[in-house]
Amino acid sequence: MGLLTILKKMKHKEREMRLLMLGLDNAGKTTILKKFNGEDVSTISPTLGFNIKTLEHRGFKLNIWDVGGQKSLRSYWRNYFESTDGLVWVVDSADRLRLEDCKQELNALLIEERLAGATLLVFANKQDLPGALSKDAIREALALDSIKTHHWCIIGCSAVTGENLLTGVDWLLDDIAARIFTLD
Amino acid sequence: MHSSTAYFLDSIDIIDYIDRCKRLLRANTGDVKMFDYIWQHLFTPFLRFWFKWFLRHFTGKCELQRICGGYRPGAARTLRAEYSLESSKNKVLRAAVSAEEDKVEECAMAIMKEKKVSSQKDPAFKTSLQVCLMQISGYKILYGSVEELRKQPFDCENNSHETMLLRLWDLLMPSTKLESRITKQWGDIGFQGDDPKTDFRGMGMLGLTNLIFFSEKYTDVARQVLSHSGHPKLGYSYAIVGINLTEMVFSLLRSGALKPHFYNTAFQSPKMEHFHQLYCYFAYEFDKFWVEEKPESIMEFNRYREKFHEKMKGLLQQPDVSLCLTVDSKP
Repeated sequence: MGLLTILKKMKHKEREMRLLMLGLDNAGKTTILKKFNGEDVSTISPTLGFNIKTLEHRGFKLNIWDVGGQKSLRSYWRNYFESTDGLVWVVDSADRLRLEDCKQELNALLIEERLAGATLLVFANKQDLPGALSKDAIREALALDSIKTHHWCIIGCSAVTGENLLTGVDWLLDDIAARIFTLD
Repeated sequence: MHSSTAYFLDSIDIIDYIDRCKRLLRANTGDVKMFDYIWQHLFTPFLRFWFKWFLRHFTGKCELQRICGGYRPGAARTLRAEYSLESSKNKVLRAAVSAEEDKVEECAMAIMKEKKVSSQKDPAFKTSLQVCLMQISGYKILYGSVEELRKQPFDCENNSHETMLLRLWDLLMPSTKLESRITKQWGDIGFQGDDPKTDFRGMGMLGLTNLIFFSEKYTDVARQVLSHSGHPKLGYSYAIVGINLTEMVFSLLRSGALKPHFYNTAFQSPKMEHFHQLYCYFAYEFDKFWVEEKPESIMEFNRYREKFHEKMKGLLQQPDVSLCLTVDSKP
């Protein structure tokens, strides 16, 4: 283990990350947050405003912001952009009718200057539902392959069962850590 | 007779004195965890046992009799009876807290037999105990039915669900016709998008039933609250806030925090109607609270929701709590 690795490791310990979770209403943002935090997900009601949770994962202190997705709240999203390290975009994979809407909202976020440095994780949520589109279909519908401005990754998951949530968050942490803690 | 009743009352309160001593001792102990352990496993059962033994022989009455005779009907009496029954070593007594409604009389008789209470010597006891049992088991049964309704998701294929949803619109917006089932108009009563079906989430049909109950029983109040929610600065999503408040009342029911309220207001066993009534109180009071607090924007909702939640929890801890909707004369 070289000196640099040790120094990097020490830095990790004091590092905080700010993750911003957005998406249309009923995408499952709050459910993801609660499931990831080990809370009961059966009694959730729609989010007005936002939820914030601070939790420890793999030695990182994660500040996760979950902001309500209903149309009238979307204009407030920009208030939460500042110093975001990772953007988690949550998609309801069974909501075929609003995929276009979903794509437009995501594209609008990607041209935001204050999100320019953030890593993008797309959660193709609700894979447990019978009518859900696969993660590849979502990738195509949102034209993710044309994104050149951000590091990105799409993961199919289910917030209700918890499937793949950890995989997604771990990828996100690795990408952010490699980016910001190496540059220091 | 009266002075002796007062004396029994004092004897029961010895438990409270012990509790005070405990807190004092605990504060002066280095190892609080160890203290709690010793207290919980050795001290409390031991002390409680001897106090009960002493009082039983001194007064000639069992603990339940002292509770029923010494405390006013309502939360003061029923909460103590519930504690006494649940911590009893006797199976018959412990089982009584979850008796079905039609088995309550049987249960009361069985308890009297176990405790050798004669109905000639204490004629009021049986009725008092029955009321306590009705309330205690009624609360559990109510939780079961509320939970069942909550677990029932809103289903567009179900005609009665659809009818209820449309009825909610008609109750709140009598002068505006809904253009179609899927329309942006739903936003006017505070749903998120053009189809409310996904907004009920974890509250399921419980959320919708509460919204309808409020609009039906207190139509004018509900419309007045809806008009506040449309305020350009202090506005909020009426229906979504309602569903959030349903979650709040539900979680209070689940934690047992609503016991004092229901034991004080439900004459016998609390029913679904009592739950809906309490929702109406929350919906009305939250609106008042929100308008008074003047939050900066809807994004502050969770902070004020928590503040309101704390306020309600505080009220529910008062022994004589009774949360009933009383409408101010001036809207």
